[in-house]
Amino acid sequence: MEDKQDIIVRFDNVSMQFPGVLANDNVSLEIKRGEVFALVGENGAGKSTLMNILYGLHRPTDGNVYVNGNRLEKFRPMESISLGVGMVHQHFMLVPSFTVAQNIVLSREPRKLKFFYDLKKADMQVRKLSEDYGLAVNPDAVVGELSVGIQQRVEILKTLYRGAEVLVLDEPTAVLTPQETEELFSVIRKIVKEKNMTVIIITHKLYEVMAISDRVGVMRRGKLVGVENTADVNERMLASMMVGREVIFDSIEKTGSPEDVMIEADDLYVADNRGLMAVKGISLNVKAGEILGIAAIEGNGQSELVEALTGMRPIEKGKLFINGKDAVGKGPRDVRKMGLAHIPEDRMSTGVALPSSVTDNMIIGKERKREFAVKGIHLKKASIVRYAEELSAKFDLRGAGTDTRVDSLSGGNMQKVVVAREFSLDTPVLVIAQPTRGVDVGAIEFIHKQIIEKRNSGCAILLVSADLDEVFRLSDRIITMYEGKITGQFRPDEIDKMEISYYMTGDRTRENRPVQQGGTQ
Amino acid sequence: MDSILEVFNIGLFQNTLRTATPVILAAMGGLMTEQAGIMNIGMDGMILAGAFVAVAFSFAMSSAATGVIAAVLCGILIGLFFALFVVKFRSDEFIIGMALNTFAGGLTVYLLRSIFGVKGTFSSEGIVALPVVHIDFLDSIPLIGPLLNDNSIFVYVTWLLVFASWVFLYRTPCGFWMRAAGEHPRSLETAGISPEKMKFLASILCGILCGFAGAHLSLGYLTMFTEGMSNSRGFIAFACVIFGMANPPKVFLAALLFGFLDALGLRLQSVGIPSDLTSTLPYIATVLMLVYVVVATKNKTKKAARKQLEISEGLFNK
Amino acid sequence: MNKISESLKKNRTYLISLILSIMAALIIGGILMAVTGFDPFEGYGAMLNGVFGSARVFGNTLAKMLTLCLTGLAMTVGAKAGLFNVGGEGQLFLGGLAATMTGVALHGVSPAFALPLAFLAAAVTGGIYAWIPAVLKVKLNVSEVITTIMLNSVAIYVCTYLVNSSGPLATDDHGILGGTDAIPEAFRFAQIIPRSNLSTAIIYSAVIAFICWYLMQKTSIGLEMKVTGENERFSFFAGLPKEKIMIWSMVASGAICGLVGMFEVYGYQFRFQDSISNEFYYDGMLVAMIMNYNPIGIIIMSFFFAVIDIGAGAMEFSTGVSGEISDIIFAIIIFLMAAESGITKAVTDRLSQRRARQKLRKGDL
Repeated sequence: MEDKQDIIVRFDNVSMQFPGVLANDNVSLEIKRGEVFALVGENGAGKSTLMNILYGLHRPTDGNVYVNGNRLEKFRPMESISLGVGMVHQHFMLVPSFTVAQNIVLSREPRKLKFFYDLKKADMQVRKLSEDYGLAVNPDAVVGELSVGIQQRVEILKTLYRGAEVLVLDEPTAVLTPQETEELFSVIRKIVKEKNMTVIIITHKLYEVMAISDRVGVMRRGKLVGVENTADVNERMLASMMVGREVIFDSIEKTGSPEDVMIEADDLYVADNRGLMAVKGISLNVKAGEILGIAAIEGNGQSELVEALTGMRPIEKGKLFINGKDAVGKGPRDVRKMGLAHIPEDRMSTGVALPSSVTDNMIIGKERKREFAVKGIHLKKASIVRYAEELSAKFDLRGAGTDTRVDSLSGGNMQKVVVAREFSLDTPVLVIAQPTRGVDVGAIEFIHKQIIEKRNSGCAILLVSADLDEVFRLSDRIITMYEGKITGQFRPDEIDKMEISYYMTGDRTRENRPVQQGGTQ
Repeated sequence: MDSILEVFNIGLFQNTLRTATPVILAAMGGLMTEQAGIMNIGMDGMILAGAFVAVAFSFAMSSAATGVIAAVLCGILIGLFFALFVVKFRSDEFIIGMALNTFAGGLTVYLLRSIFGVKGTFSSEGIVALPVVHIDFLDSIPLIGPLLNDNSIFVYVTWLLVFASWVFLYRTPCGFWMRAAGEHPRSLETAGISPEKMKFLASILCGILCGFAGAHLSLGYLTMFTEGMSNSRGFIAFACVIFGMANPPKVFLAALLFGFLDALGLRLQSVGIPSDLTSTLPYIATVLMLVYVVVATKNKTKKAARKQLEISEGLFNK
Repeated sequence: MNKISESLKKNRTYLISLILSIMAALIIGGILMAVTGFDPFEGYGAMLNGVFGSARVFGNTLAKMLTLCLTGLAMTVGAKAGLFNVGGEGQLFLGGLAATMTGVALHGVSPAFALPLAFLAAAVTGGIYAWIPAVLKVKLNVSEVITTIMLNSVAIYVCTYLVNSSGPLATDDHGILGGTDAIPEAFRFAQIIPRSNLSTAIIYSAVIAFICWYLMQKTSIGLEMKVTGENERFSFFAGLPKEKIMIWSMVASGAICGLVGMFEVYGYQFRFQDSISNEFYYDGMLVAMIMNYNPIGIIIMSFFFAVIDIGAGAMEFSTGVSGEISDIIFAIIIFLMAAESGITKAVTDRLSQRRARQKLRKGDL
């Protein structure tokens, strides 16, 4: 490294006030050219906001930002891009119906006759770019049909096409497998080393910080609480900086042993929205008093499987019994009557009515019960409010009244509303998808305890999660899925995270495990 | 039997082209806003305003060209106005669209009465119609010749515009930006182009095309302005946009189909079917079409699923 | 009492914008009058006189307000469950015609027997006509906005055909004017203000409004409707009978529109003509939308629009200013109110950013 490293990005007393939230509180930070800088913090700590300011998506309430010595004036993406900032957002900024090439050159299209789009030249340029950086993509492929990992690659190429010197990656590994993550990291190392790029990576996975970064900045509640050389710290130190205290996850005690089969699926086939088969012949069963975890990378049919089990998506073929009753061809209304409750993977779009109050969201499902409505019709408002207050207390809904609109709750509180409603239906079967996605650490712990409690009281639970730690921590048995098929079944103590990822990526199936060879498909 | 055959003569197809033209023009405008992600229910008002302004200026300046230019300028203004509310102030597109229809309906009638002092219909010798194009060469071709000949100049302009719309949307950077603004505005924004600007542009283009549609309506064949003369054509155009999935050639075909039904209705009157009943044809057809589109796409996905199932079963049985 | 003052406080900015919008619209209307050579003061004076000048005209204004309230209510019932019934106009036509023909057919029968049948005919006809787009939407996901607009035109054309001078339902003794036979006098609603359009329809309307309010606010059905309207997928997920809720809400909306058609005929028109409604439904629909489906708001705004509408008619009669000025003023208010939240937000955002910056700077010192 050079003697005097130059500063490529400088934040100078930056503050950002959103209605009700001070997202960035007087942040000053310098990023050096050619380094990998990790920015860590819990959800809502203000990491993404700070980077969005750098990229020109927000104008800060106060303070200045300099890139390569130039002060940002307009806070427009065009300005930041022209100064050499590129950003890969957590939710990809790609137009699904456009091709890879069309997405990469978007806003800087090669032209012919000044006015027309030179589609062929765009293809060529992208091909060349992809070879230059060793990031293989097919320029003609339609982005909407690509895997998440490839889409991310397209995003990176998009910034490189624009001549980025600083690459900001917002939670890049959240949707990747361990192997894809490893690939991404080697790409990062390569562009930093060979092209002298600067990379800022936002994450909350501390082992990744240790693996990739030169320096690390920790944010907590909008403030930058520390900047360290990665070599000088360890994961535990970073964790305590993030939350302001030491975090120790206790192991949760599991009791009882599995009994009757409560979910029984035999050779299920389920189609996705486009009519393509997403679940291809899955058979599984879940017994009372056990948690079956499904580990799979997003888009491998687990979402469709959950929707089929809960009646939200039709079953094309196969058998399904919930609590002993035939559930094929039934809607969620009927399936719920069979004794199933469901925590959906996307609470915003599925799990709540956003403009409604906490009370209304909690009572749905019980609104016609005798204790809450005269003859099932005339609502007893007082007892409903009392019930909602009891649930809020029991599920630790902090800082929100029962008449608060659900859309003004934090992610964790919103999830607690969903968990409270579904768990208090006291059903013998629970299907739980992504229970702690976008939820803060404290709430994760709470929700995990609730799930285990349900298990110990004899509930049959199917758990789907993209978070491998969660699957390992909660499950009695784990199934891996790849491209709509089951690729393996394990007890959590007989396999580790690295090995299970081979099953999640289809590199191995149960059949061709070293022990028992044979079988192709 | 004879009377049924009589209905299908060359006049029917000539009428199809004529009645379809304003709908095609408005629908081309509507597909711009649709592609840019705006639900534009206010096209009826845009057409109406264009029709009025065209007649007023054609009458005042004794020039059809001035009428058309005025209608286009009026369209630009309305498009800007619409985008200002929908894009800038983020008002409900549906409310603004409906209010635009009410506003245009009210204002045109108010001005009709205040300026020209008439109720209902304004027609005068002084209104100059759009020129009719005659190409001698076409006379020599039987059937097609008379069909394609002697149409108002706007009929031909319209065909060019359909092609131009397609080129714009699918072969120019700006068209790509407009589509991106509708499909995934954030990706356009992060690429450094304001989706809001694209929506403004789409809205203005829509205003211009609806202005053309209005001018054709009032200066094309009839040279008059009647209260509410857009007669739900804006809504039909909107349905065409949905039906044609905002793709210019498909929307064009959909609009031709409606023109045909409209013309058919006119012909059926001549064989004694009450005009009020034949007038319902395009509207009923619109509903049936929309149902058809939805059912067809649904069946397609279902078929795809079944086929997939067969393939994977085949694999297992092997 | 406390609750009211609280909600007033919350709605204060809204009320202020409403008043400002109305004032702006009236001023623009006045300018338009002045530009086209009329005296705006004389015009608005004639308007007020046309509304408050006599008991009769005031009665007409209240009758108009009633129509707007009921059509607004119809819109609200559908919208709460997530369906936009733009087709109220057609449902109104068909419901009005069905009720009229029932009345005509039951000539000589006791009103106690005939009137309920007429109510039923209006509600069922309007309901069925709303059921079609509802089913298409719920089962096939065909946009109800377009289908209802299209079905409006169909219904109006069909009704026009049926009752125009040579139509099968046209009266024999009315010659060229068209329209159906008049309904028997015994069935006509009593007038509350003599010679005005205000009839006992107001009582029936109040009953309908109360039933709707009770169902939507106080019952499990209303709660289920609300969450379905807010998030259809959630409703499906939670096992609510989503399709049933949506379809029945739309049917109820159509039934109310059908009854509005009946009230027009039984209240003061007494025969069905193709001019029974001049886009009454659209007006009520827009009132409901800009008032965010708030019942009190709908009532207040309906009154205001009724004043402008009836007043504009009187103004045209006495000063020659075209009555369409009411549509223009009406539309401007809607534009401004629809933009209200956007404009307010832009202003308050800028203000709050400035305030936050000052606060932060002070903190630095």
